[in-house]
Amino acid sequence: MLDAGLCRNVLISYGHNALSSDSLLAMLMDFAGDDAVFGHFGATGGYALAARRAMHEFNTGPQTWKHIAVGQRAWANLNPHAVMHGMPMSFDDYLSSKYVVEPLRLPDNCLVNDGGRAVIVTTLERAQDLKHRPAVILGLGQHNPSVQVTQSGTLAGSTGARKACETALSMAGITRDDVDACEIYDCFTYTVEVTLQDYGFFGPGEGESWFSEGTIGPGGRMPVNTSGGQLSEAYYMGLTPLSEAAMQIMGRCGDRQLGPATNTAEPNIVLVSDNGGILQAHSCCVLGRI
Amino acid sequence: MNREKTYAIVGVGYTPQGRVPGRTSLSFHLEACANAIADAGLSQDDIDGLICYRHFPASSDENDLTSHLVAQHLGIEPAYLSQDAN
Repeated sequence: MLDAGLCRNVLISYGHNALSSDSLLAMLMDFAGDDAVFGHFGATGGYALAARRAMHEFNTGPQTWKHIAVGQRAWANLNPHAVMHGMPMSFDDYLSSKYVVEPLRLPDNCLVNDGGRAVIVTTLERAQDLKHRPAVILGLGQHNPSVQVTQSGTLAGSTGARKACETALSMAGITRDDVDACEIYDCFTYTVEVTLQDYGFFGPGEGESWFSEGTIGPGGRMPVNTSGGQLSEAYYMGLTPLSEAAMQIMGRCGDRQLGPATNTAEPNIVLVSDNGGILQAHSCCVLGRI
Repeated sequence: MNREKTYAIVGVGYTPQGRVPGRTSLSFHLEACANAIADAGLSQDDIDGLICYRHFPASSDENDLTSHLVAQHLGIEPAYLSQDAN
């Protein structure tokens, strides 16, 4: 609507009293039908199904996902606003934590928290007169291979992430090698793995090797989810990754700021994702400095 | 690059987060929106588009959270209102 001239300044908002109200309980109690009768319901159940399929197809598993959970927790410990700030996590902590739905353990799941988040989008022309360095939208892509989870053939990839990313990079006129950091929708650790895999950072089954040696954490060569993400900062749908990408590009992230402060690349190009359903819908956005 | 046809994020709004009891979902929307507007250096009269993200069902003692409700409580009349499906 900005392009059509309908609007000048667009506000995008999310808020939820998820932890302190009965909202999520009401949703869980509403599940009905054959799936629920046989014990399969809720997002964790659906993503556990997907993660299990991926374990079968390309031999991933907790030895891969521990790097995601622990790497993001390290970022959260540089972010005083993060819900899990001050609560460090080791590989042993991860591997000894309880299952929610096998193979997903508690730290494989995103947080349930109260709170809200909002961002404002306007033209680059108007941005010149405003307070902060603009986080410029360089490319966008969506792909939605949406089917019932029980009918899905894409739980282990490729998900909508592959085409969405190709479209976004093409619009931005860049390649994956130009990307300095990623802010990935991380409802579960496995979502991060399959998204980065479909984005082409590594092939199926290569995730464990790619994530090892602190690749995504502070000081890593491809920082991912630098606020702590939905696993360790807070859950606001796609606004968790999108707002953090904007803040990094603006250079307002304090101790967790990408660049010299964290011995990482300057965030000139940040790849951002959102995903919906059980890997049924995907959006990719390239944000950057110009 | 056409600066009138290129778009950017120019403000971010935060709220207290974690366990914050006694608050409605609407109140978190409103606080995040107000903080984002101030963060960008805009005033609420400048906001002429509002998109509320897809959302979970309302708690038993709240109304469903729509973009209309958020706009009404912010005191704005955007030219464009929208809400993603979950």
